[in-house]
Amino acid sequence: MSEEYKVEEGLYYTKEHEWARKLDDGLVEVGVDDYAQSQLHEIVYVELPEVGAEVKQLEAIGALESVKAVSDFYCPVGGEVVEVNEALLDSPELINNDPYGEGWIARIKPSQLEEDLANLMDAEAYREYLKTL
Amino acid sequence: MSVEDLKKTHLYQYHSEHGKVIEFAGFAMPVWYEGIIAEHMAVREGCGIFDTCHMGRTWVKGPDAGRFLNYLVTNDVSRLGDGESLYTVMCNPSGGIIDDLIVYRFGEDRYWVVYNASNREKDFKWFKKNCKDFDVRLEDVSDEVAMMAVQGPKAQEVLQGLTETDLSQVGRFNIVRLKVAGVEAMAARTGYTGEDGFEVFIPGTTPSEPDKALRVWNALLEAGATPCGLGARDSLRLEAGLWLYGNDMDESTNPLEAGLGWTVKLKKPGYFIGMKAIQQAKESGVKKRLVGLALEERGIPRHGYPVANEEGEEIGVVTSGGLSPILGKGIALAYVPTAYRKRGTPLQVIIRGRPVKGKVVKHRPFYDETKYGWKRSLQ
Repeated sequence: MSEEYKVEEGLYYTKEHEWARKLDDGLVEVGVDDYAQSQLHEIVYVELPEVGAEVKQLEAIGALESVKAVSDFYCPVGGEVVEVNEALLDSPELINNDPYGEGWIARIKPSQLEEDLANLMDAEAYREYLKTL
Repeated sequence: MSVEDLKKTHLYQYHSEHGKVIEFAGFAMPVWYEGIIAEHMAVREGCGIFDTCHMGRTWVKGPDAGRFLNYLVTNDVSRLGDGESLYTVMCNPSGGIIDDLIVYRFGEDRYWVVYNASNREKDFKWFKKNCKDFDVRLEDVSDEVAMMAVQGPKAQEVLQGLTETDLSQVGRFNIVRLKVAGVEAMAARTGYTGEDGFEVFIPGTTPSEPDKALRVWNALLEAGATPCGLGARDSLRLEAGLWLYGNDMDESTNPLEAGLGWTVKLKKPGYFIGMKAIQQAKESGVKKRLVGLALEERGIPRHGYPVANEEGEEIGVVTSGGLSPILGKGIALAYVPTAYRKRGTPLQVIIRGRPVKGKVVKHRPFYDETKYGWKRSLQ
């Protein structure tokens, strides 16, 4: 793979290119990474999960769409969806522009955080994983 | 399949250096260069160019060329004069669509036929199989003639800068021989975007000797054309309401169901393959019909999604769908029972289990023809 993708330190990653970030208030913010946004290219539509939904780790809870393709969003951690990034409804390109920041997708109140995180990759492991694709 | 195993067009080198390359119909083709939406808008507002070297191109020559083609296709080839062309389908004996194609006439013993990349082998075999009673010669020159499309309201202006032939004299669906950037070529006022534009054919060049094709491509780029990939080609044709073979029609659909009845000339001279079946279908009436849908709520319809009526009962299926960059909403072509075909009929598309409201709309094209498309210059 010749292209370079940004992998942010301190986050946890899935093989499907989602990330999870522990917040100070005990919630976990989730989104897709630079690799995913780059593969989708121009994201034109985001289907968000519903606030209040109970989700399992790696359950499909939303979708990202480019003009050509649809990609499911698998939640990196299980728990309850407490907030979704509604700005994405009108500005789905936030994910392309800032996948680790303004392009966050949801905030989750985790139900078994440490167990779930143990199934994910840290930045270093994820960088190695990207090299194998 | 890796890129090495795929067929390459004359312009592959350019695509690999400037675009995102994917597999399409066995070819390594660009899906986009800068981005689908920018390329889509370049064609609606300026001039875009597409590599279409992957398409099928065959010469039909000989004293029976016209009679043979009229037997093969549903439209009336006998009404063509030299330098004229028509869009048509060809059917199997049960009326199922084998492919859609454009037939160009250069002379009474010389026709040029262009068809889908995905059907190159199937179509040529079909031509061969059905030509036995006719005095014709078939020459599949798909790999020896380059092809590119120059599309958009500024297409004529861009191409005119590269040729001495007066393009304003080339009417829609006409074809002329000319020189483009010093290279012998043919240019037809046809396309697959809904916009004005040309399809340019460049003989005497192959994927391994692409110089002539590259010379024309590079001259078009220098003249200000935007290179466009298959992504924009698909979004443009969908917005124009044009059929994609394999999605919106195939051998299980007849032209009447597909909304292509206008390409079937039952009264033309002689018999044509599928005539009897289509005549019968016309008399008994078709049960399903291709319609255009526009969504009124957020969501993007895709190929294969179910279509439901207002009561939520599944009645049909989306065959092509996407986001219309011009309209800013989800649009689709879908097959529904004939009772639901009327414009304004409320329907729903089931997107990942969620019903999304829409209705049947005018779809050829979906956009306002006073603002976009080749007819706007006639207003």
